[in-house]
Amino acid sequence: MKRSYKMPLVTVALAVGLSSGAYAGKSDDTLNIAFDRELESIDNYYNTAREGIVISRMVWDGLLYRDPKTNEYLPNLATSFKWVDSTTLQFDLRQGVKFHNGEPFDADDVVFTLNYLADPANGAKPQNNVNWWKNAEKLGDYKVQLNLKTEFPAALEFLSGPIVMYPNEYYSKAGPEGMALKPVGTGPYQVTSVEPGKRYRMKKYDGYHAGSPKGKASIGNIVIRTIAESNTQLAELFSGGIDWIWKVKPDQAERIKAQGQFTVKNSSTMRIGYLNFDASGRHSKNPMNDVRVRRAIAHAIDREGIVKALVKGESIVVDSLCFPSQFGCTSDVPKYDYNPEKAKKLLAEAGYPNGFETPFLAYRNRDYAEAMISNLNAVGITTKFEYLKYAAFRDKVQDGASPFNFGTWGSYSINDVSAITSHFQKGTKDDYARDPEVIKQLEIGDTSVDAKVRKDAYKAALTRIADQAYMFPLWSYNTNYAFTKDVDFTPTPDEIPRFFTATWK
Amino acid sequence: MLYYSLKRFALALLVALTVSLISFSLLYISSDPAIAMAGETATDADIEAIRQLYGFDRPILVQYFDWLQRALAGDLGQSYYFRTNVSALIAERLPTTMTLGVTAILFAITLAVPLGVAAAIRPNSLIDRIALFLSVMGQALPSFWFALMLIVLLSVNLRLLPTSGSDTWLHLVMPTVVLGYYAAPAIMRLTRTGMLEVLSTDYIRTARAKGLRPPVVLFKHALRNAIIPVVSLAAVQFGFMLGGSIVVETIFALHGAGFLAWESITRNDLPTVQGLILVFSLFYIVLTFFADLINAWLDPRIRIN
Amino acid sequence: MASSSKSEPVKIAAPLWGRSLRHQGVVIGALIVAMVVLIALCAPLIAPHDPYYQDLLARLKPPVWDDRGSWDHILGTDHLGRDYLSRLIYGARISLLIGIGAALISGLIGTIMGVMAGYFGGRVDMVVTFLITVRLSMPVVLVALAVVAIVGGSLQVVIMVLGLLLWDRFAVVMRSSTLQIRSMDYVAAAQAVGCSTTRVLMTEIMPNVVNNLIVIATLEMAHAIILEAALSFLGLGVQPPLPSWGLMVSEGKDMMLFEPWLITIPGVALFLLVLSINLLGDGVRDITAPENRN
Repeated sequence: MKRSYKMPLVTVALAVGLSSGAYAGKSDDTLNIAFDRELESIDNYYNTAREGIVISRMVWDGLLYRDPKTNEYLPNLATSFKWVDSTTLQFDLRQGVKFHNGEPFDADDVVFTLNYLADPANGAKPQNNVNWWKNAEKLGDYKVQLNLKTEFPAALEFLSGPIVMYPNEYYSKAGPEGMALKPVGTGPYQVTSVEPGKRYRMKKYDGYHAGSPKGKASIGNIVIRTIAESNTQLAELFSGGIDWIWKVKPDQAERIKAQGQFTVKNSSTMRIGYLNFDASGRHSKNPMNDVRVRRAIAHAIDREGIVKALVKGESIVVDSLCFPSQFGCTSDVPKYDYNPEKAKKLLAEAGYPNGFETPFLAYRNRDYAEAMISNLNAVGITTKFEYLKYAAFRDKVQDGASPFNFGTWGSYSINDVSAITSHFQKGTKDDYARDPEVIKQLEIGDTSVDAKVRKDAYKAALTRIADQAYMFPLWSYNTNYAFTKDVDFTPTPDEIPRFFTATWK
Repeated sequence: MLYYSLKRFALALLVALTVSLISFSLLYISSDPAIAMAGETATDADIEAIRQLYGFDRPILVQYFDWLQRALAGDLGQSYYFRTNVSALIAERLPTTMTLGVTAILFAITLAVPLGVAAAIRPNSLIDRIALFLSVMGQALPSFWFALMLIVLLSVNLRLLPTSGSDTWLHLVMPTVVLGYYAAPAIMRLTRTGMLEVLSTDYIRTARAKGLRPPVVLFKHALRNAIIPVVSLAAVQFGFMLGGSIVVETIFALHGAGFLAWESITRNDLPTVQGLILVFSLFYIVLTFFADLINAWLDPRIRIN
Repeated sequence: MASSSKSEPVKIAAPLWGRSLRHQGVVIGALIVAMVVLIALCAPLIAPHDPYYQDLLARLKPPVWDDRGSWDHILGTDHLGRDYLSRLIYGARISLLIGIGAALISGLIGTIMGVMAGYFGGRVDMVVTFLITVRLSMPVVLVALAVVAIVGGSLQVVIMVLGLLLWDRFAVVMRSSTLQIRSMDYVAAAQAVGCSTTRVLMTEIMPNVVNNLIVIATLEMAHAIILEAALSFLGLGVQPPLPSWGLMVSEGKDMMLFEPWLITIPGVALFLLVLSINLLGDGVRDITAPENRN
């Protein structure tokens, strides 16, 4: 008796919940947002979470700003820049800009920020973002020079994204701890209260500089809360406690969209999934050492089918180890179609006519991993599957303890191949191929400032990686956003929601 | 009484030490703590530097005593994830969990004791059956399921309660019910058997024979005696609850120690996990210690034994 | 049964209560448990489909009682298009295995410790009591989560971890039962005749505590099954594609607000199993030893 009540109850629940509109939001000019994790610190340089990047774009500004649509580098806190030589950059700074606390912005702030970051003792995270310049010099009240360590083609990309300017007087007193509790920047939103890990409140910065390519914010207040459980996030959305959520699972997104009470948008992201094989025998002597086995696995996985049924949205199958929009990325590489018969033949040639058993590690998208396991089973490969938390997964992979794993990489939203291919295949901790030829080409690509030289080098590297199936790229990811119909919001492919461009309808 | 207290205190201390040793060793069954601490982009030289700086190259027992010494001074080490001390972090989160724990145990007691008494007065009655049913349900219903169902029913469907967070007392209603419900069956059963036993003793029969009114007999004489073991059980259950709050806090987005524990586990932030295990255990140890003292004070037979 | 010398009506009612209702409980509990065991044993015979066979084109098909359902998949299909009924049937194996495995390990540890403490007393008793206190003071869920997160989850790890954490009740009950029996005349007699300690333990003590042992074992089995579900909910249970009921609940959780049957079906199965194991355990205790109700 008791049981039979349960099912109708839940089914009814949603219908009723959706029928009444949201009660928060537009009426009090506050957009309520849920994030699923808490930041270790709201200080831009002491967290590595994507949510940190989102907040960073709202609260601070960089010298430049990359237009998310055209990928052009536009002036922001700098009005212009020029390459003096291949390792020297000069900037003219914008005048009349004020930080949220009233401190005026000038060359001292830029020099202070850049030199603070360049000192490894300050431990800014991640070090890759900040370890490529030697120092910054003040050339005038509104003119600075950045001296690079070596040629670094991705410099503008970094300066228009993760590298934001801090107020020198405030930061030298408050430090990371002070900044974490009371952030001060020049960005379109200013933080009004921080309850660490729990809630951040922001309001529109009225004094935001008019020349910014980001534009002035329109929505008056933004409140960000941490809600870890996705069902709780949805329940909050349905009951009007939250106006905007993201990372909604594909199946959930489809249902919310079908019900028509909320706007659901999907956007492709720079994140791609991959299989990483122990090609060089770093872990052990195992079947993955054989190129024929790696190719067989590539033929065994039904990427198209998995994208259609599970990944969904704007995701596409990718053939080379990078996201198509990234500089240097090319899809003109050897490809592997879904062909289980060919896979079985290759396995037989490699001496495994009856397949083999292999450990298989993953840390996210358990369903995708399961689908691939089923594909592998179909050609005779059985897996000892281990689903780990990311930290444990990363430790294990980087320690060389994984012959075969399924990972993903978001390139920190950096639109350049160096942020992914070089990260994995340049003899790094994640590199299980250690191919000198690939390493050489990537080195050329990473250090040249000549676009043609870079493109050729990356293409050579990507082609070799694909041919040898050192790593097998799977598909790109997408993010689903669900939010109240009162708000107008457009997601961007770099997976950094820009709330300062959102408006009430 | 003093001798008994001292003896119990020494035992509690010894238990605390053992627990501290176990939670300390947790750090070492995983990978090298220096690697974990150095983070993603560290070179071998960085890791070696950290190893020496934090003394991970010393014998484990030496490290343990060093850690213990600092733990006694309230320093549980540095979180791998946050840029803060673990003690400060836990101190910041504990009030939420404590509030939830207290409301939940109060809920459990107010639900369980009257039910247990009623069941004992009228064994095999309808109320006894209901009590039994509730208690068996409590053991079989997974807490996360119960929690999510409550959210769907009470906040999405009926709009009676806020879904998540801890801003007002209303926010605590659902978490309290979910967490308290799991402590209730044990308390109820113990109250019931305790009452049954006491009601059948000679002095209650004497009291009844003397013509005292049933409520007086029941509450002034019987319940007072039956409640003794319930006190210590409630203390034990409170200790358990801190552990049980992991799921509840995660679902209801409460930023307490339970949620911190869960997040720290997913982030491999072992010093924090270690600190939380120690703190939760200490709570249990301190609570049972006081429960024992209260029991001994209420029932002199205990301290003589 | 219990101290029947007293003619208080309340006291006599207790066994009555047990006899009428609890025995009903035993019957219901035993029936359901027997059914689940049978299902688990005969899984390959009764499962309509291969529980691992996936069909990405037939995902999330609702059960037959839904308008969109069909008899081909009586309980529908999961997020990978696998037959839900078949997974539920095979899942009974995994969930029972976890319960039985954890109960066996913890039973072995707890019984040895409890019986030794009760039989030898003195120092041995002190050490065991101390270990029980230490164990009780550790937060089980947190420790289990931490260990599984560090070591990595698998069926074996989950069974081991739960087994190593749930022995406390065994130890407590075995200790007090042994203590009681040790003082009985026949044990003293056996000792006087010169039977070896092992012999006394095996022939005189064990047979007399075995009832209590069974009761605790059933309760801990239920406890282990529910803890595995909690571990799975937090993403740290057994590894897919193994279909444990806890894992099925956690996989169905994402669609809970849209396709509630996905979480309700394994949830109800889990609830019924745990409920019936508890009913069975409680009932057996009432029949054999009503004085140990707590």
